[in-house]
Amino acid sequence: MLKFIAPLGLAFASFALAKPVDFDREVRPILSDHCFQCHGPDQAKRMAGLRLDTRDGAFAVRGTAPVIVAGKSGESRLYQRVSHAKTTMRMPPPTSGMNLTEAQIDTIKRWIDEGATWRTHWAYTAPVRPAEPVVKTKAWVRNPIDSFVLARLEREGLKPSPEAPKTTLIRRAAFDLTGLPPTREEVDAFLKDKSPDAYEKLVDRLLASPHYGERMAMQWLDLARYADTHGYHIDSHRDMWPWRDWVIRSFNNNLPFDQFTVWQLAGDLLPNPTRDQKIATGFNRNHMINFEGGAIPEEYQNEYMVDRIETTSNVWMSTTLGCAKCHDHKYDPIAQRDFYRFGAFFNNIPEKGLDGQTGNAEPFLLLPDDKQEKRLAELKAAVAERNEKLPDELVWALTTEWRKTKFDIVPQSPTAGLSAWYELDGNLSDTSGHFRNGRILKGEPVFNNGPVRRWPELDTSIQLQFPADAVALEKPFSMAFWFRVGRQPGITLMQKQDAASNFEIGLSKPMSLPGLKRGHDVEIRWTAGNGSLLVHTDGYPALQNELNHVVVESDGTGKAAGLHFYLNGKLLQLVTVKDALGQAAANSGPVAVGSVKLPMRGRIDDVRFYERTLAAEEAAQLALEYPVQVLLNTPGKRKGEQIELLEDYYLRHDASPELRTAYTELKTLVKEEGELVAAIPTTMVMEEKTDEPRDTYVLGRGDYTNRKEKVTPGVPAMLPPLPVGQPANRLALAKWLVDPSHPLTARVTVNRYWQMYFGYGLVKTSEDFGSQGEPPVNQELLDWLATEFIRTGWDVKATQRLILTSAAYRQSSKVTPALHERDPENRLLARGPRFRLPAEMVRDNALAVSGLLSAKTGGPSVLPYQPSGIWEELAFGEGFSAQEYVQGHGEDVYRRSMYTFWKRTVPPASLNTFDAPDREKCTSRRAVTNTPLQALVTLNDPTYIEAARNLAERVLEPAKVADDERLKTAFETVTARAPSKGELQVLRSTLKDQRAVYAGDAKAANELLHVGESPLPASVDAPTLAAWTNVCTVLLNLDEAITKE
Amino acid sequence: MTPEQELQLAVTRRHFFGKSAMGIGGAALASLLGGRLEASPGLAGIPHFPPKAKRVILLHQSGGPSQIDLFDYKPALKKLQGAELPASVRMGQRITGMTSGQSTLPVASSMFDFKQHGESGTWASNLVPHTAKIVDDIALIRTMHTEAINHDPAITFFQSGSQQPGRPSMGAWVSYGLGSENDNLPAFVVLVSQAHALNTDQPLFSRLWGSGFLPSSHQGVKFRAGADPVLFLSDAPGISKGTRRSMLDSIGKLNQIKYESYGDPEIETRIAQYEMAYRMQTSVPDLMDLSKEPESTFEMYGPESRKPGSYAANCLLARRLAERGVRFVQLYHRGWDQHNDLPRDLALQCKGTDQPTAALITDLKQRGLLDDTLVVWGGEFGRTVYCQGRLTEVNYGRDHHPRNFCMWLAGGGVKRGVVVGETDDFSYNVTNDPVHVHDLQATILHCLGVDHKQLTYKFQGRHFRLTDVHGELVKQVLA
Repeated sequence: MLKFIAPLGLAFASFALAKPVDFDREVRPILSDHCFQCHGPDQAKRMAGLRLDTRDGAFAVRGTAPVIVAGKSGESRLYQRVSHAKTTMRMPPPTSGMNLTEAQIDTIKRWIDEGATWRTHWAYTAPVRPAEPVVKTKAWVRNPIDSFVLARLEREGLKPSPEAPKTTLIRRAAFDLTGLPPTREEVDAFLKDKSPDAYEKLVDRLLASPHYGERMAMQWLDLARYADTHGYHIDSHRDMWPWRDWVIRSFNNNLPFDQFTVWQLAGDLLPNPTRDQKIATGFNRNHMINFEGGAIPEEYQNEYMVDRIETTSNVWMSTTLGCAKCHDHKYDPIAQRDFYRFGAFFNNIPEKGLDGQTGNAEPFLLLPDDKQEKRLAELKAAVAERNEKLPDELVWALTTEWRKTKFDIVPQSPTAGLSAWYELDGNLSDTSGHFRNGRILKGEPVFNNGPVRRWPELDTSIQLQFPADAVALEKPFSMAFWFRVGRQPGITLMQKQDAASNFEIGLSKPMSLPGLKRGHDVEIRWTAGNGSLLVHTDGYPALQNELNHVVVESDGTGKAAGLHFYLNGKLLQLVTVKDALGQAAANSGPVAVGSVKLPMRGRIDDVRFYERTLAAEEAAQLALEYPVQVLLNTPGKRKGEQIELLEDYYLRHDASPELRTAYTELKTLVKEEGELVAAIPTTMVMEEKTDEPRDTYVLGRGDYTNRKEKVTPGVPAMLPPLPVGQPANRLALAKWLVDPSHPLTARVTVNRYWQMYFGYGLVKTSEDFGSQGEPPVNQELLDWLATEFIRTGWDVKATQRLILTSAAYRQSSKVTPALHERDPENRLLARGPRFRLPAEMVRDNALAVSGLLSAKTGGPSVLPYQPSGIWEELAFGEGFSAQEYVQGHGEDVYRRSMYTFWKRTVPPASLNTFDAPDREKCTSRRAVTNTPLQALVTLNDPTYIEAARNLAERVLEPAKVADDERLKTAFETVTARAPSKGELQVLRSTLKDQRAVYAGDAKAANELLHVGESPLPASVDAPTLAAWTNVCTVLLNLDEAITKE
Repeated sequence: MTPEQELQLAVTRRHFFGKSAMGIGGAALASLLGGRLEASPGLAGIPHFPPKAKRVILLHQSGGPSQIDLFDYKPALKKLQGAELPASVRMGQRITGMTSGQSTLPVASSMFDFKQHGESGTWASNLVPHTAKIVDDIALIRTMHTEAINHDPAITFFQSGSQQPGRPSMGAWVSYGLGSENDNLPAFVVLVSQAHALNTDQPLFSRLWGSGFLPSSHQGVKFRAGADPVLFLSDAPGISKGTRRSMLDSIGKLNQIKYESYGDPEIETRIAQYEMAYRMQTSVPDLMDLSKEPESTFEMYGPESRKPGSYAANCLLARRLAERGVRFVQLYHRGWDQHNDLPRDLALQCKGTDQPTAALITDLKQRGLLDDTLVVWGGEFGRTVYCQGRLTEVNYGRDHHPRNFCMWLAGGGVKRGVVVGETDDFSYNVTNDPVHVHDLQATILHCLGVDHKQLTYKFQGRHFRLTDVHGELVKQVLA
């Protein structure tokens, strides 16, 4: 273990020895991590009444002995106990696993002996703008950041690194500000620009790029747990991309951070909020939303509040409020009550605990464009006009009157040639008069109201069967019946089987259809001896959970052309898969509902077998008129659905011509309105519930069923109070966060910017500024940046510019062994940052250098290449959106990775491999791992093969260029710098090897070149292009290619 | 985070498998390129005490297998068939939205026959005839209980110790703490198979093998049936093994030039990872290739074991992974959510899984691997004694039941042929020896030589652990 401590210990040791013990940096972390659990803020768990997290507690006199006597460690109980020789007396108790090291005990001793200076935790006091320190090497300083960095380096006896070469600088700045590599032209222009402010001009150009907003949004999307699905169990799709577009736009327009904050937390509460201000509030709707069958709404409504607390406190305050969900915070002065008071700001939204089945969950905003808005208004007016002609009272009166006159109607349906008829109204008797009664082989079906009187409910324990002679397959026949099925795989509806032949009407595997519907194709499967016939419908018209009436008829020939199929009264075309039955042989088997092996689940009604084919009108009559006539004829109270059916029938068939016209038009208009509304994008937003406000309670142990005290919105006491004279709501909270006196917001925000550029924030634990977090490595710099951020009016672009134009940022990132040993993580910044690119940029870089990248910004998410089955093998599977991965094409495959559809339970595979989070929760820091799975992605993912091929095409495009020139072009395109002699030599031999591979193997070359959907050039020398493709793959796999240097 | 932890992390985050610590010198690199890497050591000080098991195979039956129809024999229910569940048994316990609206909660006794098996006399139903033959090798816990009543929170709780997403999974914790024993395979491998039941509806989530706040190199790697067991394992079309090797040599040379001029040790690590990727291209297909298994193996695991991606094939792969020292192997089998048509669907599930499950135990035993491999079987919760939907003589369904369910353990560190815990006559409440999910997690770690209270990771200021602030060892099952 010691050898691990050595490097960092060394880095700070010299500083520590030279100066008195620093309470914030050295002592509080020890007390916090080792003592606060039992002697900290949590009142319920406090031992012996001693608390060490406050000055009063730490300096209290207990009995006769004070806990700490300033200047006298020997008289301080604290030191006596932590250094006690007897293990039974020693603190922390050895059993706690919290033991202090000798070095830590010594630190406490020295701190006490030096006077035991106590300070409130640094992060809870507003930053005071420090004076710029005086440094020795003044010439190095480009802006105040450098004074702070250099002062620290000089104290440590370190020197900054020289400025990085221009080629390195442009690539570093381009990735940092736009997430994209510079083009060769941009590199050339920058190299040619010899003006002293060439670099500053470059930074300004990058800040003005529309891709700047995308890059800044990338970090914000992690924090905001943005995704394209709801998460949790079913994880179907949602549409929050309008919010994402707004984020990109806001960064590009340089919306000041205070407004960026207020809009997102409380835009809806601003006076006359604009559409953008409302869209912005989607920030706190980005959390997961559940609708697992059987889940309890209250449980999840509580989780949404909890997520908003955790996310909001993390994003703006780097405070772990979440730790106070079940009990008082163990380390920071946050009571459990504070957690729920903070939650009360976000707990009065008109939302449901379980929602999201069909897309966005309430409340959401409709976002029509101008054309849609106009048409919608027109349609609404037109619909209202028709509705006026069809007032409910009138229609009701007329329909009732009509029903009375028609009650004795005799339902008409074709009876000629009826060989058997099962009304299934409570039994299986044959009402055709042929006494071919059906039988219940197994189970006890229950009969409920169906399309024609009652119908049986079938589950797999029930088997129904009709006699063999009900249908003679060798002659013309028709089979007609109603059915309804729920979510299920492909099944058999009706089967007639004997030893030699089998006839089935079945449903194909289901398919997802627009509007979250799911349908089957109806299949007619017929085998006899060696012959077989298979026909089916097209487009999955038999919908799940809806009534379907089918008529299947055969003309007796046993040919596909002799089969007809009607669905709900309409003749549908059949697709013939196989037409080799031979002839329609006789079949002696009974007619079973479902198959005997696989009983049917669902409902079935009005089963009829005819010994002839039916006319089209007859099929329509069975599906449309007959059920209504039966209904009219059946006495009894009507239920909602039945009333609608009757009304619809009356207004279509029997009402006055004026009413019929108005009704027909109304139906058409309503349909168009529905389609239009479905096409208008929506985005989830925050609103305040006005009826019956929701109360918030402290929940015992965080359990939603365990309500304790009722609380009102409020903020923790260690922070400044809310502004007075205005309601304590989200707007007050937002304004409070961006008040210049707030100790956290500005620090937390600039710290995250720092993290974006240097890999680590000045406070490494960018998610925790509390007493368990890391004290800032350079607090003066952090405080100066925070106060500067506020001073400039929360100017986000100015802050990026400030950092990027500092000498600290412009240093070379070369590492010497000595420097690496001294400061392996480069926290002191004696060199520039060098890190593997974030996941999105790894892919975007490949697309960009190959010329494939789409420059389009914003819009809905896209589905680029992904190996098949990755969603499907895990997903719920049916009846919901985002269960099957349907890859996009064209531009969709080449959009920036931040637009890749983010499914929370199965995040984008290749991005995930490069540490992109699943976005189930707020992410403040991504890990940067280095694994073999990453190598497999950049070597074998079609995205990268295709990019390599396209890069090769670009390199080969100009005619008559020497290989060396081409190799240089390729290398420069990928790295923005010229290759060294040694590198060029390796590239030459690589090209030679690859040429040799494909020279005699055009087949292999062609296989390689056909990876990806981008077209090949018209005339292509396959072996040459393949060889160059592999050279480019080598380049795209260099450490440097995927690294910001 | 202390400097020690930070640096430890700096080392471990590069670990996928094998060691790639900082400061591999140029000289070491040559051997690295040509040779093999040492296995990853895990965290210093772990294991905390000598382990009984070196690895875990977790056979997760996703959806909640019905304890009443498999292992928790309740003969008294026959007489109560159709009677309302007494309020004194339910005791106001919350039930899911799927049955809370039901006007009646009738008792449904099991349709299946139970017998006692083995010397231990363990009860098992006729749905699991093969498991019945290995009862003397397992420790059956009849009194598992959990806190969640729906799949998403319950399975997340089981895998990560927390109902809400965001924590590392069990396998990720083990990978983080113990590291890998194999140079060429990940420490944590996941195998997924699809339901045998006809009603299937429980999705799985990659968070179940996710690394949460641990470095993502600890997340489980899903091995899939088909040409690419690991994503993008196969070389692109038109690229032969030799071509790939020569490309890798070029990449390695160029990266080496860069390293020599730039000095960032991350470049060395990258070189090593590319070599590991190359080795995986051999080691993974070799693992997945069952063609050299003798006929007797397939007979033991059953006919489906020849079908790639099936539960049976995955059980066989689990043995092969155990042979290769993979630390944590997690199988997920979907389809155990019998809300309706339980007699049909539970029978289908058992028919597809019982034989290979038992075969895995027998096979491990025959190879001497069971002594240091811990195998765990079970789902995220159990099922209710009352019927969901209509109760008939031949059909019934059961809703989710968190208050008691059955799991079993076998192998390293675990007693053989014991049964732990008792439930009431309705299999509704634990009457003796409850075992909470956190207790089981603590026990699994214990078998691996890990004190669950000492395997922690500091995140957001808190020292998180798999068992949250709970977990007692299940002493009754420990050998």
